[in-house]
Amino acid sequence: MTGVRIALAVALVGAAAATPVAAQSYAITGGTIHTLAGDPFVGTVVIRAGEIAAVGADVEVPADAQIVDATGQHVYPGMFDAASRLGLTEVGAVSVTNDHREQGAYKPHLQAATAIHPASEHIPVARANGITHTLTVPQGGRVPGQASLVVLDGWTIEEMAIDLGAAMAISYPSRRGGFGRGGGGGEGGWKAAEKRYRETVAELDEWLEAARRYDAAAAAGTTVERDLKAEAMARVARGEMPVLLAANGERDIRSAVEWASRQNLRFVIAGGREAWRIADWLAEAGVDVVLSPTQSLPSGPDEPYDEAYANPGKLHAAGVRIAFATFGSSDSRTLPYEAAQAVPYGLPRDAAIAAVTRNAAEMLGFGARLGTIEAGRIANLMITDGDPLEIRTQVTGLFILGREASLDNKHERLYERYRARPPAGGTDR
Amino acid sequence: MQLQSRPQAIAIAAALVAALTPSSLAAQPQPTRPEGPRLLAIQGARVVTVSGATLEGATVVIDDGIIVAVGAGVSPPPGAWIVDGTGRTVYPGLFDAFTTLGHGRAGGVAPTRWSSDQEHNRHSWGPEDRPGTTPWLSGAESIDAGDDRFERWREAGFTTVVSAPHAGLVPGRASVLNLGSFERPREMVVAASVAMRVNLRDSSRVYRGFPGSAMGVFAYLKQLYYDAAHYHSAWADYDADPLGKRRPEWDRALEPIRTQLVEGWPALFPASSRSDIGRALATTGEMGVRPIIYGAQEAYAGAELLADAGVAALVDLDWPKPPKDDDPERRPTLAELRRYDRAPTTPAALAEAGVPFAFYTGGLSGPGEALAAVRRAVAQGLSEEIAVEALTLAPAEIFGVADQLGSIEEGKIANLVVTSGGLLDEDSRIEIVVVDGELFEEEEEDGGAEDGEEEADSSAVGDLDDGAGADEAEGDAEEAADPDSDAPPVPMSANTGPYRDDPVTLIRGATVLIASHGTLADTDILLRDGIIVEIGGGLSAPSDAVVVEAAGKYVTPGIVDAHSHLAALSINEGTLNNSAMVTIEDVLRPEDIGLYRALAGGVTTINILHGSANPIGGGNSVIKLRWGADADDLRIGARKGIKFALGENTTRDRDPDRYPATRMGVQDVIRQSFLDARAYMEEWEAFEEGDRRGVSPRRDLRLEAMAEILRGERWVHAHCYRADEILQLLRLAEEFGFRIRTLQHVLEGYRIADEIAAHGAGGSTFSDWWAYKIEAYEAIPHNAALMAERGVLVSINSDSGEEIRHLNQEAAKAIRWGGMGEEEALRLVTLNPAKQFGIDDRVGSIEIGKDADLVVWEGHPLSVYAKTLRTYVDGKLYFDIEMDRERQAAIEAEKAALIEKHMGERP
Repeated sequence: MTGVRIALAVALVGAAAATPVAAQSYAITGGTIHTLAGDPFVGTVVIRAGEIAAVGADVEVPADAQIVDATGQHVYPGMFDAASRLGLTEVGAVSVTNDHREQGAYKPHLQAATAIHPASEHIPVARANGITHTLTVPQGGRVPGQASLVVLDGWTIEEMAIDLGAAMAISYPSRRGGFGRGGGGGEGGWKAAEKRYRETVAELDEWLEAARRYDAAAAAGTTVERDLKAEAMARVARGEMPVLLAANGERDIRSAVEWASRQNLRFVIAGGREAWRIADWLAEAGVDVVLSPTQSLPSGPDEPYDEAYANPGKLHAAGVRIAFATFGSSDSRTLPYEAAQAVPYGLPRDAAIAAVTRNAAEMLGFGARLGTIEAGRIANLMITDGDPLEIRTQVTGLFILGREASLDNKHERLYERYRARPPAGGTDR
Repeated sequence: MQLQSRPQAIAIAAALVAALTPSSLAAQPQPTRPEGPRLLAIQGARVVTVSGATLEGATVVIDDGIIVAVGAGVSPPPGAWIVDGTGRTVYPGLFDAFTTLGHGRAGGVAPTRWSSDQEHNRHSWGPEDRPGTTPWLSGAESIDAGDDRFERWREAGFTTVVSAPHAGLVPGRASVLNLGSFERPREMVVAASVAMRVNLRDSSRVYRGFPGSAMGVFAYLKQLYYDAAHYHSAWADYDADPLGKRRPEWDRALEPIRTQLVEGWPALFPASSRSDIGRALATTGEMGVRPIIYGAQEAYAGAELLADAGVAALVDLDWPKPPKDDDPERRPTLAELRRYDRAPTTPAALAEAGVPFAFYTGGLSGPGEALAAVRRAVAQGLSEEIAVEALTLAPAEIFGVADQLGSIEEGKIANLVVTSGGLLDEDSRIEIVVVDGELFEEEEEDGGAEDGEEEADSSAVGDLDDGAGADEAEGDAEEAADPDSDAPPVPMSANTGPYRDDPVTLIRGATVLIASHGTLADTDILLRDGIIVEIGGGLSAPSDAVVVEAAGKYVTPGIVDAHSHLAALSINEGTLNNSAMVTIEDVLRPEDIGLYRALAGGVTTINILHGSANPIGGGNSVIKLRWGADADDLRIGARKGIKFALGENTTRDRDPDRYPATRMGVQDVIRQSFLDARAYMEEWEAFEEGDRRGVSPRRDLRLEAMAEILRGERWVHAHCYRADEILQLLRLAEEFGFRIRTLQHVLEGYRIADEIAAHGAGGSTFSDWWAYKIEAYEAIPHNAALMAERGVLVSINSDSGEEIRHLNQEAAKAIRWGGMGEEEALRLVTLNPAKQFGIDDRVGSIEIGKDADLVVWEGHPLSVYAKTLRTYVDGKLYFDIEMDRERQAAIEAEKAALIEKHMGERP
């Protein structure tokens, strides 16, 4: 086996950024524009070459632009499901249709995009409810792999790609599980759980340390055998690739933050079920949280019934930046309702909308390209007939990468088809 | 402390004994004891007779193992061995009311496994296989004389134990044993059969298969005892006149139970909490036996149930305590903390309520801990006198041996314990133990004495699951992604019940969505004694009314969930393809915190269904969310129902293979079950219309449930997904002349909505779940609207402890997908499900005369932003968003105090 000199051509891993194909220009006129970068106003959004070319109350409509009349409607940035399995899983119970969980514990070199199925029926279903892009996250093991930021439209993954190695999923070890019902002690006891925890953290440290040495050796020109895992972890170790760091319990979140800070990583907490218990501490530390579904049960029988409903509002009030995510695929379309559920329990509505559009883009380092309606941003937009978080609201138009995206999907087709079924005959019972 | 087993004062004749022992293995047995007079007197002691007055300076005379005289003026007979009792106290020997001594030693093999004629690890395909049922075994048989626990128990002052085999569901008979000479086990037996032991869980795993759930166990126990009663009448009939009759089958398992029923021995039945006790009383009532409750640690909350039923309790002395090696940051639940705090109050509560009770060592790590544990109960208000009784006379009375044991009276067996002080005094020592007149005296401690510690045989007694995850061990849970998943029930709550119970409430000025006939602005609703009595504008408040100002708020009927798995100990009895004999009704868990969480989402009525693991599941239970009431008070009185299931969940691979594996087989199982039911009905009809002479047909709970369907007394609620399987079921029902009442999930109902409507089945579906399995891959969120458009009575259900909390939102999805009108959408979760369960005369809409089940909302209830402010069930305020905050604060405060008290030494 010959060692190869590794180049620091990390860009290769990152894959090329999306190349806008559409040359078509659009002008969305007459609607109330919620830019998420300022107050809403009635005006025009001009889209050109996949990007927002101009936005304002008195923007001139280019002569070649196709006019989209949004009078009486609302224009919002497209929604961002900040962690999903879209494209990786089709039918939950049919294991061969599930590509989100690879074997093994440490798989930093694997990338969700490799297995994202652009023709998945889930993608148009989510899209029709205003979800324009997502971070598709692999699962399973300590380091499940790289999450891919994709738009929910495209003939191929290349057309869907925004950043295929946008974040590294890491599942932070929990010390929980020591106590079973009825009693502690034995193998399942606290001491054993703590020992396992320390060993796992040491293992994670070792992976980062190995990646750093690999990096240093490569930088010094030393010949080392190419190691795909070390290359991927090196991007994390350098702080180049953010970590989506899964932790839910209060202690786990705290330990995860301390660990990631000690390791100088860029990271976002994913899950954050008990984050409300340490909201001020998280705000102080400047930690962002991608929240697991708001419509979740409390963490224990004595916890408030609305623990999960109130969690986002408490974090927001403390100054923690939050984003919503479904962590699913068939339910990705419910993203707006997960955000809405937090509103009557303390999260301001505007903050809820920001948490499904702008916040996650900023957390992951894409704030300059996604999440608001501002000139120069990727043109991912939705047009609605009302509040985008309200169930009864219909999404009436959608733009992804500056193209008009179809709202059709499997469900609409089946509905239309069976709605048109002639009255059943021959069963005169 | 070490006691040495010796014959009467054998030290005196030690030389003689030494000369006689040992004998070689092959030698003919020679006497090992001196043949002196069998007379013994304990002289000048304080004698606590328990049955009568305590005597000072009294003498107890024993002749040949029997107490022949007790009293202050009694003189020892000539020739008696004399024990100086000066300064000592004599008690009746201690009685451990429930053990496995001589059987199933810790780390050993369960007694049933020794029995060569019992097949073990056998798969049970129904009650007829008599799973884990070995009633022919008893504590008196096959006593393992080498069980070192006998001696350790006697060292701790116990002269008598009740011992029973422990493995399986009906492990065998309990026997009363005296802890005399273990080398002669036959002499130990006082009574061979005093009770039949019942377990609700097969901790020793002596069988596989049915019953695989808590409700399966209850159904099995009922069937077993019905069978035994039938067996008895069949044999009685045959024995009376065998000529011309076919001989009944002999059944080893039923023989001893037949005897039990005839002789009236009680059943030892596990129960701890109030709802356990309720279930135990109901089940043993069906079984036709009198229960003795064991475990009983949380009986402080159910003492009056026991008192009213005249049922005795055996209390496990191993008081709950915090786990060792525990996570220092773990937040214990209030229920757990209250167990630590309140379990030791149970004996006082039982005494107060007049419940006969006795103690047993249970999960204690050794018998030497028993008296300390009793002292904890005394510290919680139990009188010392009753405590002593619970260790002596009470168990003797409970087991019907009080004419022989339990007190110091002339004629009773000479079982005594002689202590240096009061039995429950901390510094008191046990100095002499007398069993059957045989004296065992304390030897001076030599410093190296064992402390009697051993691993607790926790499997032996008290193994009624505490509720959480009763079925966890069984492999019939559905896929995690499946909404039908058999997830363990959420934990129980420590404090339940309504916030307020006002007889009259006036809700004033709300926008009222009445569900049946539109929306009323600025309207008042008057609730009286649980009923809606007036609806209108500007109602005047009766003087006794609590007025709730609701201007700007919305009021809807309480939400009805047509498909829930809350508040049940178990969900699936998936071991059989037809488990119609089981029912959720047997395993209701009213304290489930899930009910409170549902109330906080405006839900007031739910239909609790069996799971979908088999084509024919079990009975359902339609309940009002009267959180924390007794199980019997939850039911709304809907017609009985049963869960059927089609498709993937029923055909999925199982170990061992369980028929069916295809939709063809599912249909076959259902059809054959109805044919069997018809035959069963005919058999009974023939008997009842005939001369009714001879023996009735066997009562079969499974076939009875099936027959009820055919007679229209029980409704079928069928889990289904694909259009083709739905159509097949409708046609099969039509073949047997009944209607499917509701199709549950019915995700492809939109494909055959006309056929469903023509059949007359209701459809209860999810709002927008899809693709979690292949049969859900064609599901569409327009299903509810499309079925309704075609004339199907449609509801939207949760099938989930989370989804149930926002069914109002789920209803709104039928507006978003399918364009349903607002009122019709609201009916999806109120009036329509009420109609589906035939309870729309009581619930589902806001109408005069209906139950006062109401929800006050902030925001329009079909908005995603709607918030439940108040939920009323029967006019009682079960949820209130303000009072919830107070409740939460109270829980936190109580927990903090209890953690300090019971877990104070946590790091």
